[in-house]
Amino acid sequence: MTTTSPDLRPLSGLVVVEVGGTIPVAAATKLFSDYGADVVKVEPSGGASLRRIGPFPGDVPDLESGAFHVALDTGKRSVTLDLDSPSGLEVLTRLAERADLVLLHLPLGEARTVREDLMVLGGAEGGPHVVVLSEHGLDGPFAGRRENGTSLFAWTGRMHQHSLPGEEPLRYAPYLPEMQWGATAAAVSLACVHSTEHGGQRREVEVSAVEALTGNVDTWFLQWEFTGAEMPRASGQSKAAYPAGCYRCADGYVVFASANPPFFNRLCEAIGRPELAEDPRFLTPAEKALHFDDFFEVLDPWLRERTRDEIFTYLQSFGVMVSPMLDPSEVVTDRQAVARGSFVTHELPATRSEGGTTLLAGPPFRLDGAWDVAAAPRLGEHTDEVLRELGYTTTERLALFRAGVTG
Amino acid sequence: MTSTLLAGVRVVELCEVWAGPMAGSILGDLGADVVKVESFPRNSMTRPLATVQPWPGEGPAFERSPIHHLSNRNKRNVALNLRSEGGAEAFRRLLASADVFFEGYSAGTVAKLGFGWEVAREVNPRLVYLSMPGWGAEGPYEGYVTLGSGLDAAAAHTIVRGYPDHPIEDTQPIYHSDATGALAVVFAVLTALRQREQTGQGAYIDMSQIEVLNWHLPALVADWAVNQRLPERLGNADPLIVPHGCYLAAGGEAGDEAWVFIAAEDDHQWGALARAAGHPEWGERGHPWATIPGRLRCREDIDAALAQFARTDTAEEIAARVQAAGAIAAPVTVPWSLLANPQHEARGWLQYVDHRYIGMQVFPGFLWNVIPDGPSWDRPTGLVGEHNAEVLGELGYSESEQADLYAAGAVGDRYGP
Repeated sequence: MTTTSPDLRPLSGLVVVEVGGTIPVAAATKLFSDYGADVVKVEPSGGASLRRIGPFPGDVPDLESGAFHVALDTGKRSVTLDLDSPSGLEVLTRLAERADLVLLHLPLGEARTVREDLMVLGGAEGGPHVVVLSEHGLDGPFAGRRENGTSLFAWTGRMHQHSLPGEEPLRYAPYLPEMQWGATAAAVSLACVHSTEHGGQRREVEVSAVEALTGNVDTWFLQWEFTGAEMPRASGQSKAAYPAGCYRCADGYVVFASANPPFFNRLCEAIGRPELAEDPRFLTPAEKALHFDDFFEVLDPWLRERTRDEIFTYLQSFGVMVSPMLDPSEVVTDRQAVARGSFVTHELPATRSEGGTTLLAGPPFRLDGAWDVAAAPRLGEHTDEVLRELGYTTTERLALFRAGVTG
Repeated sequence: MTSTLLAGVRVVELCEVWAGPMAGSILGDLGADVVKVESFPRNSMTRPLATVQPWPGEGPAFERSPIHHLSNRNKRNVALNLRSEGGAEAFRRLLASADVFFEGYSAGTVAKLGFGWEVAREVNPRLVYLSMPGWGAEGPYEGYVTLGSGLDAAAAHTIVRGYPDHPIEDTQPIYHSDATGALAVVFAVLTALRQREQTGQGAYIDMSQIEVLNWHLPALVADWAVNQRLPERLGNADPLIVPHGCYLAAGGEAGDEAWVFIAAEDDHQWGALARAAGHPEWGERGHPWATIPGRLRCREDIDAALAQFARTDTAEEIAARVQAAGAIAAPVTVPWSLLANPQHEARGWLQYVDHRYIGMQVFPGFLWNVIPDGPSWDRPTGLVGEHNAEVLGELGYSESEQADLYAAGAVGDRYGP
């Protein structure tokens, strides 16, 4: 931290150890770090895998300036440690002894071993909560399968649901499943801390990616389970319940979610055609499904004469659910984003590239004085500092470095 | 065993559709006492008065809607008319009894009902109060309305998702921000409860659902900020990884739409995939596909070869074979695959829940497991006003006072005539 005044952020005083260096585990601990916790990131000497994920400034690969490392490792301390050696595991154990929480994402065998080592610390009551992220859980026939974000997503049913019939199923943006998985782990981890701070015992937690992603809304499983009928997969522009989905306008696209009353009625009124809300062609779902073209003939020319922003501002004043479809350059200059400071300018390290600045998302929730982002650590930047805090002598620190246990 | 992580925390939820109600369910899974305040006499969006397709059970349609059942477990349900004097007073007492209140309406809506933060903190100075409008509680878009699909478009996610060779109009609306928003509520209110321990005071949280989605998409903004580059629609292709895509399989759980996703992220995984496909030579030194640059050059040929391999068996079998060899593969599941997933079966993940009107149904399970006190499905989706008597009783209303509230239309337990 660059601040010298006492940290009054709400999670200050908490010590969190992050092991594994993947996107989900780094996403989980970022929330702790930005709201005040001391997060120690344990990395192999070659660097956490998320440091290798771009984009990079100028497309120059660099362990210090990848987009995910810069965005997700904010305010953490980096310790490089070889966890394949007993010496490395001993350092991790000493670190964990002082921690409130340890979050792990390691290959199955290692995850089981490290978890066992950590769960004996401090007896049943005293040690840190141990939260293990795994792709399918630590047991069962699929435990230990190798997955990436897209293959995990394939297991959730959403890839099928949000694709066109007969076409290749489509993923979402790369790494979005890993981010949601990490956010899931963060929520249960903080609940564990809440419990011990109110007299509860330490916990062992397992967050399976497939379970975390499949169990959290945005799925049509229940629709099928209740009725036995597959939810029809809509195209982008629903022809049955409309307007919903993407529509062309003068300078791009807008997305509607205003198929049903009262939103449909408000839209008819806003475009100067209030009588359409009472028109028998659009009154019942069955009739409506037969008359998409009739409504499109009215809406399409109205939209094509107007820009995204005009449509958005004007229709929202009537309470119509419509949004502009933006690209990233527009997202960061959007009126609301600028007024709220939804993105913050952040310095990049001057390493292989020339430094400069990037933009990071601002606080995901605003609580007065609660949030701050500091720079992401250089690889191993805090190894020596943390080992001193753990009480290792100079000779021990030199010997561990000499043997390649620390870096 | 019922989870006790948040034992003793009283939460009041005033939300509809997905993000907010799912947050309430998750807090309930963690052991909080969650009271859902249901809109009355207006029915919420996920509680239609009539069915458009057959739903199981005999009771009123608004108790049997699948979409409503997805995100309303583990809470109690009271239906209050906040516009009535009696309903507003009951709600005030509820807020006075709570640690956390969160609401999911457009910015300003709840304040207009007389329950903005300034009022609520007078009622209960220790209250953690969270508002979660799509674009946040303040700013030029205050009061704007949206579902998750609108936030997806405004966060630049929709433009990267569609098929490269289709018009943008074909890109489907999705509701991912509901899933991320629900998780953010949980982290946010627990953070504020910890702050309350330090300050003795409650707090107001302005949570913008689009800002939550923004932090889940760091690469899009970074590429613009550092390289002035806008994203292209790539489908499942990864510019740096070959292979990385879905291939049509010869049947399986998804029938004639059975696809299998396959990826090999490095030479080791590629060698494993080559062996699984019966072509170990693809991974041997000297073969044009054996190296990363070679595979990047031969993307189309490799896709064609894997398309042929995938057609030799079901999606599940192809995935199992590739996984056993040591590469990445998964069948693309359809809704009913959930029931046939041996991993879910082995872990007992699916939940069988009995409900007064819909009977026994199977639900997707919990987001995590906790030892020793994992989540359990203690309460199925609440009926409208199912816990009116219980909760009003706790708030000090006698039976005759409760009868007066019903008579005045201040509380209810059914919709429609």
